[in-house]
Amino acid sequence: MALCTLESTVIEWVRPSTVTTLGTPMDLNSLLHGILTAQTIVSAVSILIFVHVNLIAAAYLVYAERKISAYIQDRIGPNRVGFDFGLPILKPLKGMIGLGQPLADGIKFLLKEDFTPNNVDKILFTIAPAAIVICAFMGTVLIPWGGNLAIPEFTIPFINVDVDAATVAVGGAAHINVGLVYLLAITSLGVYGVTLGGYASNNKYSFLGGLRATAQMISYEIPLGLCILVVLLMVGSLKADAIINHQMTHGWLILGQPLACIIFFIALLAEGNRAPFDNAECEQELVGGYHTEYSSMRFALFFLAEYVSVLTGCAIFALCFLGAYHIPGVPMTHPSDTSILGVLVKTSVFLGKAVGLVCFMMVIRWTIPRLRYDQIMVAAWQGLIPITLVMVIVASVMVFFGVTNPLYTATANVGLGILAAVVIGWSAPKVANRKIALAGSRFNPLPGEIPITRPMRAAAADAPHQSLSVPQS
Amino acid sequence: MFGPTLKAMLTPALTLAEGTSAYLPIALILIMAISFAAINLVGTTLLGPNRKGERKGMTYESGMAPIGTARKRFNVRFYLIAMTFLLFDVEIIFLYPWAVTFPNLTPRSSEGVIWLTRIAFFMLTTIVMYLYGRRKGVFKFD
Repeated sequence: MALCTLESTVIEWVRPSTVTTLGTPMDLNSLLHGILTAQTIVSAVSILIFVHVNLIAAAYLVYAERKISAYIQDRIGPNRVGFDFGLPILKPLKGMIGLGQPLADGIKFLLKEDFTPNNVDKILFTIAPAAIVICAFMGTVLIPWGGNLAIPEFTIPFINVDVDAATVAVGGAAHINVGLVYLLAITSLGVYGVTLGGYASNNKYSFLGGLRATAQMISYEIPLGLCILVVLLMVGSLKADAIINHQMTHGWLILGQPLACIIFFIALLAEGNRAPFDNAECEQELVGGYHTEYSSMRFALFFLAEYVSVLTGCAIFALCFLGAYHIPGVPMTHPSDTSILGVLVKTSVFLGKAVGLVCFMMVIRWTIPRLRYDQIMVAAWQGLIPITLVMVIVASVMVFFGVTNPLYTATANVGLGILAAVVIGWSAPKVANRKIALAGSRFNPLPGEIPITRPMRAAAADAPHQSLSVPQS
Repeated sequence: MFGPTLKAMLTPALTLAEGTSAYLPIALILIMAISFAAINLVGTTLLGPNRKGERKGMTYESGMAPIGTARKRFNVRFYLIAMTFLLFDVEIIFLYPWAVTFPNLTPRSSEGVIWLTRIAFFMLTTIVMYLYGRRKGVFKFD
C-alpha cells in the first residue's frame, strides 16, 4: 500500500505540468538526461576500472619494491609463492618468481589479529587508517589516464534515458575544471591520517613520528603547490587536457622548467614519506613511527595508501612534466585519437611512465641514506621555498613579456638554480660541528698516538703496532 | 504522506546534481573508498583471532615499561611550522585563480601591468613575512 502511494506520487511528480523547481518545469526524465551524460557514465566506468588497477598496481609495487631492494642488496627476493594454493591440480602455477606474494600477503593481513592496545583512543585509532586510505583513493580520480574517447549516441536500457554523442575524458574526474586544486586539497587531507594515527596510539614513539611526518608533509606541500603554480603559469588552465596540449606544442615541461621539475619530484618524495625523507618511520629512533601500534589490515591500509598515493603522485608528475600519455611522433598517443584502441595505448603509455617513475623512487630509496630530520626541514624552509617563490615571480614576469620559448624558460630556470645554490650556500648560517669524536678514534687520537688517515687494512699492514695498540704513558 | 516528503527532499538534490553533474564521479569514488576502508576494517576484526592480555595490551616502547602517557607537551616549533604553513597555503590558493587567468591576457598590455603589480605586492607581503620569520629563527632546526 505504501509502495503504491509512493509510486503514484512519483508518477504525479514527474508530470511536467505539476512540478516546477526554480521556475522551470522539471521531469524525472529530463533531470536524468542532464545527470547521466556520456561523461558521467564514462567517469563511473573508469573509476570502477581504475580503482582496481590502482589496487593491483599498489600490491605489485610492494612486490617490485621487494625485488628491487633484493637486487640492490645482492639477494633474490620473494621467489616461492605462486598461484597453486597447495593444490596438485594447479602445479604448473607453482613458483612463478614469487608473483603470488601480494595475494598471500593480503590474505595474511586479513587473517591476522586486529589488536587494539589498552591505552589508545579507540575511535581515532580506527579512523586514522581509514582516513589515509580514503584520501589516497580520492586523489586517484584526477588522472586523465586514457585521453579522450568518442561516445556515439545511445539509449540506456530499462530506464530509457537518451545519452547524447560526445567526446569525453577517460579517467574518474579528469574533466573537472579545478583539477590540480582538487589534488592539493586531497593531499592536504592525507596528513590527517598520519597525525591521528600518531596521536591515537598513545605511544611516545608514534606521537613523535606522527608529529615529524605531519611537519614534514605540510612543509613540502608549499614547494609542491608553487611548482604546480609555475606549470599553471606556463599553461594558463587547470584542466589536464590543456596541460597536455601545451606540452605537445611547446615540448615537455621537463625541458622548459627543469628546476621546477626537480623540486616537484623532491617534494613528491617528501610528501609520500619516501626515502630519503622517511623520517616518520626511522627505525633507530622511533621504532615504526606512527604505525608502531598498528597490526593486521589497519597496518596494511597505511602501506596501501602510501603506494597508491605514490603512484598518483608519479602520474601527476608525468602529467605535468612528461607530457602524460603523449609520445612525440606516435600518432596513436595524440589527443585527437579518440578510438578505443587509442585509449588503451594511451593508458599503457601513461601507466608505464608513472610506474617507471615509481621504480626510480624505489631505486632512490635503496641507494641514498636517510636524511636527518633537521636537515629535511632546513632543506624545505631555507632552500626549496625561497627558490620556488623566486621561480614563480620569474615565471610570471616571463609570462607578462610573452616569453614561451622553452629555451628561454629553461635558461632562466638553470640560472636561477645556480644563483640559488650560490646565495643559499653563502647566506646559510655556519653551524659548528658539535660532534665529539670518540677518544682513541682517528678523529680524536689519544696523546702520543699517530692518527692514521689511510684505509684501515693498508695501514694495519704497514704498522700494526701503531694502529692497534694504545701507547703506554 | 511519505511521497511529498520524498519529493521535497529529492527535487533539490536532483536539481543540484544536474548543475554539478561533473562532480558526481567524486561522490562515487568517495563512497567506494569509504566502503573499501570499512569492509577491510570490519573484515579483519571478524576474521582474525582476538586474544586480550594485560601485558599484551601495554604500549610498545622498545620493550621498556612505559613511563607516563604520550599526552604531554611537545616542542613549540611544530606549532610555528603549522602557522607558517597556513599562511603560505592560503597564499598559494589565492595565487591559483590568478595564475590561470594571467597567461591569457595580452602580453605587455596595460591590463597585464596592473595584474602583475598587484600580485607582486601580494607576494611581497609573503616575502616580508618569510624574511621576518627567518630573522626570528622560525626556520632553524637543530
